[in-house]
Amino acid sequence: MTMDDAFDARLKAAFAQAVEPLETETEADRFAHRVVKQLANPDRKRVLILGGAGSTGSAIAGTQLESVLGQVQIPAEGLLSNVGFLMGPEVLAAGAMALAVGMVAMVLPRRLA
Amino acid sequence: MKASDEELTALVVATKNPAAFGELVRRHQGLVRGMLNRMCRNHALADDLAQDAFIRAYEKISSFKGTGSFKSWLCSIAYTQFLMSARKRKATERVLEKYKADVEESEAPRDMGNVVDLDRGLATLKEEERIAVVLCYSCGMSHSEAAEATGMPLGTVKSHVNRGRAKLQAFFADAEVMVS
Repeated sequence: MTMDDAFDARLKAAFAQAVEPLETETEADRFAHRVVKQLANPDRKRVLILGGAGSTGSAIAGTQLESVLGQVQIPAEGLLSNVGFLMGPEVLAAGAMALAVGMVAMVLPRRLA
Repeated sequence: MKASDEELTALVVATKNPAAFGELVRRHQGLVRGMLNRMCRNHALADDLAQDAFIRAYEKISSFKGTGSFKSWLCSIAYTQFLMSARKRKATERVLEKYKADVEESEAPRDMGNVVDLDRGLATLKEEERIAVVLCYSCGMSHSEAAEATGMPLGTVKSHVNRGRAKLQAFFADAEVMVS
């Protein structure tokens, strides 16, 4: 605790006096109204910028995926060869892109709500 | 009968009621804005930080366990916002330095009750001392609460408060000599 003497009392009074202009009814109401309004309207601009950056990043990564997935060995025989047409690099890249875009589409509306 | 802070907090946790939180904001905004204003010495920045602090408090209100006072919990969040802002915005520091210089260049100190003199007195303290003094005298935190809020060891907080207090006492004694 702070020391309890005359100077302490003066110091506390000075701090109390310093916040007096902020304690008026109108000032308190105005500030509280601003905060509550902000609670109802989250910072959409920030979320949209982050969402846009995320989507752009996914798109750029997607363009690189095809060359990476091109190195995947597709089985030529056995059961898996039946679904080999689904494992082409273009199809895998498109799938990954769809997943990324789907996640952005799921997260953004929640953040904006 | 007026609901207590704890009752309003419980209502906000249970229902996320913005009106109940608005009442908490209305009650404590003066304290938080005053504290941030004394810490960062920039009225507009202090108000922005206070708004961010209240929004942060609303988001994590379920983490308020009620072991300490709501006021102290809120001041801890406001202090964290102040720290984050200070780290993020180095440019702001330069503006504050300029503001500090402007205050020092203006007229001679007057009576201690004057808000400008309090700010001028606080400007003579080191940042850690100013923060410790503001938390303990403006927010009414105990040394332990201030130590918890700032992450400083208890002994360090006590030292900062005592040194800051002694400097302020000397500052106001000098000011009174000049006036008389």
